Amino acid sequence: MQIDDTFAEAFGMRGVRIIITAKNQKWARESANKLTGFATSVIACKCEAAVERELTPAETPDGRPGISVLLFTMDSDSLPKRVIERIGQTVLTCPTTACFDGLPDFPDRIAIGKPLRTFGDGFQGSKMIDGQRYWRLPVMEGEFLIQETFGKAKGVGGGNFLILAESADAALDAAEAAVDAMAGMPGVILPFPGGIVRSGSKVGAKRYKTMIASTNDAFAPTLRAITKTELPEGVNSVLEIVLDGLDFRSIAKAMQVGIDAACRAGVHSITAGNYGGKLGPFHFHLHKIMSGDVEDAPKVEAPK
Amino acid sequence: MSDRITLTLRAPLARALDADAIAPDRLAALSAREISALELWDGRTVVALGDVFTVSGDRSPSVLLEGDLAQLHGVGTLMGGGTLEITGSVGNSLGARMRGGAITVLGSAGDDAGSAMAGGSIVVAGNVGDRAGGALQGASKGMTGGEIIVRGSTGVEAGARMRRGILYCASAGAGAGAGMIAGNLIVSGTIGDGGGAGNKRGTIVALGPVRVPPTYAYACTYRPPHLSLMLLSLRKRFDLLVDDAHVHGLFKRYSGDLAEIGKGEILEWQATR
Repeated sequence: MQIDDTFAEAFGMRGVRIIITAKNQKWARESANKLTGFATSVIACKCEAAVERELTPAETPDGRPGISVLLFTMDSDSLPKRVIERIGQTVLTCPTTACFDGLPDFPDRIAIGKPLRTFGDGFQGSKMIDGQRYWRLPVMEGEFLIQETFGKAKGVGGGNFLILAESADAALDAAEAAVDAMAGMPGVILPFPGGIVRSGSKVGAKRYKTMIASTNDAFAPTLRAITKTELPEGVNSVLEIVLDGLDFRSIAKAMQVGIDAACRAGVHSITAGNYGGKLGPFHFHLHKIMSGDVEDAPKVEAPK
Repeated sequence: MSDRITLTLRAPLARALDADAIAPDRLAALSAREISALELWDGRTVVALGDVFTVSGDRSPSVLLEGDLAQLHGVGTLMGGGTLEITGSVGNSLGARMRGGAITVLGSAGDDAGSAMAGGSIVVAGNVGDRAGGALQGASKGMTGGEIIVRGSTGVEAGARMRRGILYCASAGAGAGAGMIAGNLIVSGTIGDGGGAGNKRGTIVALGPVRVPPTYAYACTYRPPHLSLMLLSLRKRFDLLVDDAHVHGLFKRYSGDLAEIGKGEILEWQATR
């Protein structure tokens, strides 16, 4: 099994952790699934979001079952817009749910419950509990509770690794094993379907100049004979795992676990996507990560 | 500097003393000699603190008061931080206008505890007198922040005219929450007559029996989501024996006082089988 001496190149994002609680795990999951729907890539979805993990009643502010979700955008300005519209349409509307900030110690705060309170049409009320304001919105079911502000993290988006396999089945088996191994790791999400990407992209396009991303032809096996391929002999399918996280270390640790799980029969090698270091300041060197060095830090400050 | 300043009553107090000089954040900057020289008021006469208390320790934000202090009034007035522990009972106006810090009373406290307080916490193991968390005389609003936890009973007009914060007690006398502007009054036992009269936006949580005033109107029976958050917070912070049946229970919501703006509420817990 070969792990290429290369690095995954990632970029700065801004993120929140949303805690959704409900009467039971079913309704917390229903809400979280809707909130994180169509949020695979900022390229077209304007944000990237996924479930981080399920929470026991002992882990949630109101003592009910819950789910934590991470949501990322490319900049600070768009973050509250995306969070407000998604919570407003998928958590506020969902039976029995309440919504809390999952980053209470983060000093940068964005107003989420405050703008959403106007749905209450003047009938809303607020409560201060432990120094935090919560809004009570009257709804047909009863009442929806949401925290006024959420912590904003300077996160990292676009951590990745590619699984180069002998067959499509082998690639999928390895990718599923990697996703299972990374499931529930704190501070990390895998925003694509099932955590796996089959259509990795390159920046721009060769033929269609208006495209901001197009197929990664260097890793497309059907194009091996007609393009400048990156595929070694014997590789017939490639799947990618993309990771977003609250910090560099969380992603690096998840990559270590995921790559380790992906190294199995039928996999030829593991590599990673980068743009020569010109796109993003966060570089996840596969050899360093697999040797346990997950403390690397970006040399360049993430964009505002 | 010592870990704690201990003030021990030399002899039982024969008359009331005004002791608003005793607040941890003010004592934290003083030597034992300076603390002994602080002025207490016996009517119109000044008494040195050192004549009433023995002083041990200095320059600490943690203060221990020992003795039966039921005649000592105004302790913790305008307190802004630190901790104050009182091993016995204490007099009126405990923590009046306090802005921060924590007061713990192992006995009981007199009238006007936490009057017009804006922050911090007062925890009383016994009972408190009238107007806990209320307003200063002539003032429009009572406590505007912080928490008052009374493990025993409160006298009349607990939380009257409160603006913000939480007042929790095991039972409340007549007129509890009268004229509440906002804030939260939580009573685990009985609430006396006239509770919530003139309430504007306040929340009165009745975990025990309550006579809902006729100027309130029944709205619905439901689980108030903020209440589980609040009760769990109180359980965690003050080690209160909060029942899970209350945390996740059903409450009747009465809107009122409709003689006022009607945005207040009485939440009456419903025992379920």
